[in-house]
Amino acid sequence: MVRSWSSMEEFEAFLDDGGIVEAEDDMPDEYRTAVFRFIELHANSEQMGGLTERDWIPRTPGLRHKMSVIAKTQDEFGHAHLLYMVAADMGIKTRTEMLEDLFAGKSRFHNVFHYRVKTWAQQVAVAFLVDAAALASQQAVFKNCSYGPYRRILKRIISEEGFHMRLGEDRMMRIAQGTEMQREMFQDAMNDWWWPALQLFGPDSKPDDKLLRWHIKSERNEDLRHKWVQKFVPMLQSYGFSIPDPGLHYDDETKQWMCGPIDWEPLKKTFANVGPDSERRINEASSHWETSAWVRDALDEHARSQASLTTA
Amino acid sequence: MSDLSPAAREVILAFADDEHLMGQQHTEWIGVAPFLEEDLAFASIGQDELGHAALLFEVLVGGDDAAIDAIAFFRDADEWRSCALVECTLEDWGDTLVRHWLYDSAEELRWQLFAGSSVQALADIAVRAESEERFHRRHGDALLDALLTVDDAAGRLQTALGRLLPMALAMFDGAAGEADAVSEGVISGPFASCADAWKQRVDDRFGAQDWASIDADPSAGRTTRHADFAPMLDRIREVLDLDRSAVW
Repeated sequence: MVRSWSSMEEFEAFLDDGGIVEAEDDMPDEYRTAVFRFIELHANSEQMGGLTERDWIPRTPGLRHKMSVIAKTQDEFGHAHLLYMVAADMGIKTRTEMLEDLFAGKSRFHNVFHYRVKTWAQQVAVAFLVDAAALASQQAVFKNCSYGPYRRILKRIISEEGFHMRLGEDRMMRIAQGTEMQREMFQDAMNDWWWPALQLFGPDSKPDDKLLRWHIKSERNEDLRHKWVQKFVPMLQSYGFSIPDPGLHYDDETKQWMCGPIDWEPLKKTFANVGPDSERRINEASSHWETSAWVRDALDEHARSQASLTTA
Repeated sequence: MSDLSPAAREVILAFADDEHLMGQQHTEWIGVAPFLEEDLAFASIGQDELGHAALLFEVLVGGDDAAIDAIAFFRDADEWRSCALVECTLEDWGDTLVRHWLYDSAEELRWQLFAGSSVQALADIAVRAESEERFHRRHGDALLDALLTVDDAAGRLQTALGRLLPMALAMFDGAAGEADAVSEGVISGPFASCADAWKQRVDDRFGAQDWASIDADPSAGRTTRHADFAPMLDRIREVLDLDRSAVW
């Protein structure tokens, strides 16, 4: 049954009452567009995150270790696969259109995937810090998400991301207990990745954030960021690593870790796809997409000929 | 296992090296395959092949990760027993798909040689591997079923086949002491005994080949390394070589 609402007020009342929107519902265009963009951003980020990891898979130190790293990357591409399906079902763009926009630099993906992973320790830092930040954001969406298809696949994504975070934590601990070279390498990784990971949550939410109003997000960006800082500052310090934030301090009154001022310029650059490694990342993905077009074209042609045989 | 004969060790090592490098080659395509489902397939198949390699290495050195990594990564080039088909880097996905099919269709026959092995661990691995390999073959066949019906794609794939067959024939090069391993019952026959059945599969899949005019590439066997091997091994060991004492 197709449901519809006579006004935005009625629709918002439905959402406030815990209503769940389904793909076939006649939802307001503004909601459809906002939710689609949010899921497309998530899908693109899983895709580009997988590409970040793939650069280092062949160099993974250890045969069985490599198998677990591949399994994680397979999960990330699997998430992209699911998310693109959910996004495509909203009827705004097909999966191919979304991927072609991504590879043409016309759509966005999370800031962290605009940076280059330069060492194995950075690969571990990304798996540890970034996956934890992404997981916290996703859990906050899952908690109260009004769009049913997205909520349902988030359940699976979150359970897998939990394993990834533990894998990252386990690898971080091995490095922390490792040689001097390993510890220095991880500290360098922290110096490069602390701020991008922290900025993954985005700037403070606007008072009229529609994603909050429509129960897509359930927590404000600054609240999620603050909780992440409370978890990771003491954990990293306990392993003897320092946080590259000169303004970071512990507030005795509130018993909370407080960040120094955040420079949002690097984040804004990633929004415009002009981050430190955006051009290389997008061009490489685009080049692979173009050189393998013959495979997709041939499969399309085969599918058309099969369909015509069926209808003939 | 310490009671394995040198011949048995050579035969197992040759298979383990092939599986290891085939898996490694598959990992290079994760994320850059023609479409998402293929990214997922290459990730899955790559894991399986690396897993088979780990199981075979385990028969040789035991289950400790460090021991497996030592044999998998830290031998000199002349101590490897892989064939050139899995050592060469392929830039084109058509070549990659054809190699995947050629290797996996031979791999099935090779596991059958191990299925009745006098070494129980090998017989057990053969059963497990085949339960995964049939999905690998189904994957390759499903793509080829479609792509070989379209002129442009079929042309690319047939060209790839022509390029790869001399190297693929050299895959059947036996490990040193293979005959002894057969008489010990470690394998039921030499790998070369599978070549005719494999050629028939190639004919059935891609059309009849003029086998009399296709010679195995004499430089593509198991005692010499392909030119792409050294850079690939450097890449595999890049992190490990930073500090051999480090645990990651």
